[in-house]
Amino acid sequence: MTDERTEDTADGTTAESAATDTVADAADPTLVVEDLVVAFGDLVAVDDVSFTVAPGTVTCLVGPNGSGKTTLIRAVADLVGIDHGSVERPESATRPVGYLPQAPAFRPQFTVAETLQFYADLTGESVDVDAAVNRVGLGGVPDRRVDALSGGMTRLLGIAQATVGDPPLVLLDEPSSGLDPMMTRHVADVITDLAADAAVLVTSHDLTAVERIADQVLVLDRGRIVAADSPAKLQASTGTDDLESAMSELVASESGQVATRDAEVDG
Amino acid sequence: MSRARTALVVAQREFTTLLRTPTILVLALGFVVVVGGFVLAAGTGGYLPLVLDLVAPMEILVPLLAFAFGYRAIQSDADRGELETIQTYPLSRLSFVGGVFLGRLAGLLPVVLVALGLSAGAVVFTPGDAVSVVVRHGTVDAPVLFLRFVTLTVLFTAVALAVAVAVSAAARSGREALAIAVVLVIALVLGFDATIVAALSGGLIGPDALGTLTALSPNSAYRGLVYTLAVGDVYTRSAPTPSLLAGTAGLTLWFVGALGVAVARVWRE
Repeated sequence: MTDERTEDTADGTTAESAATDTVADAADPTLVVEDLVVAFGDLVAVDDVSFTVAPGTVTCLVGPNGSGKTTLIRAVADLVGIDHGSVERPESATRPVGYLPQAPAFRPQFTVAETLQFYADLTGESVDVDAAVNRVGLGGVPDRRVDALSGGMTRLLGIAQATVGDPPLVLLDEPSSGLDPMMTRHVADVITDLAADAAVLVTSHDLTAVERIADQVLVLDRGRIVAADSPAKLQASTGTDDLESAMSELVASESGQVATRDAEVDG
Repeated sequence: MSRARTALVVAQREFTTLLRTPTILVLALGFVVVVGGFVLAAGTGGYLPLVLDLVAPMEILVPLLAFAFGYRAIQSDADRGELETIQTYPLSRLSFVGGVFLGRLAGLLPVVLVALGLSAGAVVFTPGDAVSVVVRHGTVDAPVLFLRFVTLTVLFTAVALAVAVAVSAAARSGREALAIAVVLVIALVLGFDATIVAALSGGLIGPDALGTLTALSPNSAYRGLVYTLAVGDVYTRSAPTPSLLAGTAGLTLWFVGALGVAVARVWRE
């Protein structure tokens, strides 16, 4: 029962206030989420979540399968309706939010460069497609058809697409899912580069990469933020040596069991 | 960027997709061959007989081709998950749906026009006086009648494509889109007219209402407009057809209604 769950973190502050405070030192956060609730019928996928994401930082959403990560990031992208609360996104930019879905896919009849050019044209701004392709490491295959790309390359194309038009907020849903270690490392480097120009919100199960790139980690369990801090502080507060152990500690102490949830809610 | 420019970006993508889809190219070629086959089989020797020979096949073939060109246009993006990505860009539902429609229409119309153009060519270059049921009305046979028929067929094609795009926006899966498309084609070709006939024979409607009610079906409306504008009084109609006003209103309602459904269903605003 959600009522019985506490939001207190290890140091006694509430997780939500910690989420808001961790990166809220910046004067103007790029993203402000307050008291967000998203439900599908009786199933509450995101339950009273608040946090901010500051410009130039990487915030990672972690948690068990079914914890609500994908629903939360889709709500931030305005792709699902919210039942309560608010999401304040950037308004001044031509394209306020860049988004990489969990399973990016593109029209197979087009090449890498043509696909990015289409999205660039939608922004109405002049976009250096070659630079966007090179940025994610697809500079060697701009003329390759999308249906001839590997899964990893398609994901890189998805990341390039998410940055077209220089959105101030970039949302990446499991950008390294299913990738080999080298590609995973490359994606992590790309995300770090993105944070030079934007606020980045990432969902991930790759806690090693999260530990390396995250300025702020939001631990989600059954739709609620149960901890929010930098990787180092989360480890310190749980007395663990790595983020994986810290998350296990936090989620286990919250739920006492492995969370299960409909894959549609958070695949 | 203006709505019109965004719509053109989307339209270009749709048109290129059609050009690079072999199945579509085969269907387009098949359409031209089948229409040509009808013309050759009928041995048409005049524009007016050509119109009368083609109006019934067009009622069936145009919706079939339009649905083949459009029933997956938006649904394939949704199925792939790309529609959600597109939503994060600064474009409205109207621009997107309008672009999809225009791009697909840009690919579809040339196919219809080529088929009709070749049919007209058969009349021009066929030697001798072919016999036709209306050949004795030779004084009214003129290319302008055929041009009217072509114009009405272009409008009918646009309406059929609009319905197909609405299906592609409303369906939740490729299978569902195919199922709805098949049902709608059957309804357009047979269902509406059959229902009206059944209602007439059952006494639910009177003969006076036929002219208006048949306009509710885009196929009947198209047929009625062809008979009114391209055939005229030289042909004695065996069944009531919609008036000019009712037929025009019927096609307009289907066109606007279908695109309205597509805009409303493509994604949540």
